[in-house]
Amino acid sequence: MNNKEQLMSVEHIDFLAEMMNVGAGNAVTALSQLLDVEMDLKIPVVHILPAVLGESSILGQPSLPVTCARMNMVGEVTGYLHFIVQSKDTASLIQLAELATQKGEKRHGWSSSNPGEDFSVIAEIGNIISGVYLTAIHDFCKLNIYHTVPTVATDMIQALLDESLINLSRQVRHLIVAENEFIVKEKSIKTFMMIIPSAESIKILADSIDKAKMSYRK
Amino acid sequence: MSNKERLIFDSPARPSPGSPILRIGMGDGVVAGVPHIISSSGLGSCVVVTLYDSKRKLGGLAHIMLPDSHNLNGYHSVYECADTAIAALIKGLQIKRATLSDMVAKLVGGSSMFSSSENFSPGIGEQNIISTKYTLKQKRIPLIGENTGGNYGRNVEFYLDSGRVTVKAIGQEVREI
Repeated sequence: MNNKEQLMSVEHIDFLAEMMNVGAGNAVTALSQLLDVEMDLKIPVVHILPAVLGESSILGQPSLPVTCARMNMVGEVTGYLHFIVQSKDTASLIQLAELATQKGEKRHGWSSSNPGEDFSVIAEIGNIISGVYLTAIHDFCKLNIYHTVPTVATDMIQALLDESLINLSRQVRHLIVAENEFIVKEKSIKTFMMIIPSAESIKILADSIDKAKMSYRK
Repeated sequence: MSNKERLIFDSPARPSPGSPILRIGMGDGVVAGVPHIISSSGLGSCVVVTLYDSKRKLGGLAHIMLPDSHNLNGYHSVYECADTAIAALIKGLQIKRATLSDMVAKLVGGSSMFSSSENFSPGIGEQNIISTKYTLKQKRIPLIGENTGGNYGRNVEFYLDSGRVTVKAIGQEVREI
């Protein structure tokens, strides 16, 4: 049970939090370009949570309804990526995307084929945001990490996460969660980026953080 | 970033003391009697198995994650795997003087949440269902109710006064099994 605590010190977690902050900065730029609106970002909060989401955790109850895009992480670090939006914020995110498509229609003469609730929007946004987070990790740690095509589902948060945890065969005890709050036209949209590294990957991640730190000291 | 902003939680969800409701998290389980209600929420590909002895009004619930305990390294709780969890529940009930021949089982969960094109073999949810049923059969405990499969999450409540189990999914009526 103490595997992770030994491998990941407080300093490692600090560095990881810093990387996630850079990732969040990139994410807001990408999202505001995609949705074609001005966006502000609150200072992101990085949490290290236990694999079992307790009632007291920041994500609320284990039965909280969310929309989640899941991707596999492949490359030097393996595991899962989850882009999570609370169900109450999903609609406003989809609306923004629809507005952006309408703007695009006017400009380029596109036609939107499927108006209304469209969860593929969440998959696309999840795809882009995971990309920028992984780029942030690459920039600091020089680790090549890729992700697969996302699949989307809406349900209780723990129900959506448990399959990933089981597939990593319960070696995971902690999740890395970056909580981003975007502000668009005075409305806030809360999204979560959850990184679940496999047990082997945590050591690789910790080692490369050590290396990165050494190179910054020089 | 200050330490206040970053929260490090270490303990998994534990039953809150003083309340009749016992909350069971992933990979956890409990044996109890009247007046308790055992609840477990956010059930995806995990399965919940309940054992109940109606003569003595004793019951146990386990939130199982893995189909079997073979080929596992590292630390694992007994309630994480189907075979060890059922054995642990039976033992716990027998310590409280329930008898194996009076026990009946109910099974909930084992859905596959993401419709993925990558998975060609049966998903972990299905494996959990098969393995749990197999273990129950081995122990000769009759399975009298189930609500399994599908692609949605479930909340489960197990009432120890009557042995009834209620299942709730988002956007669906409460179902009793």
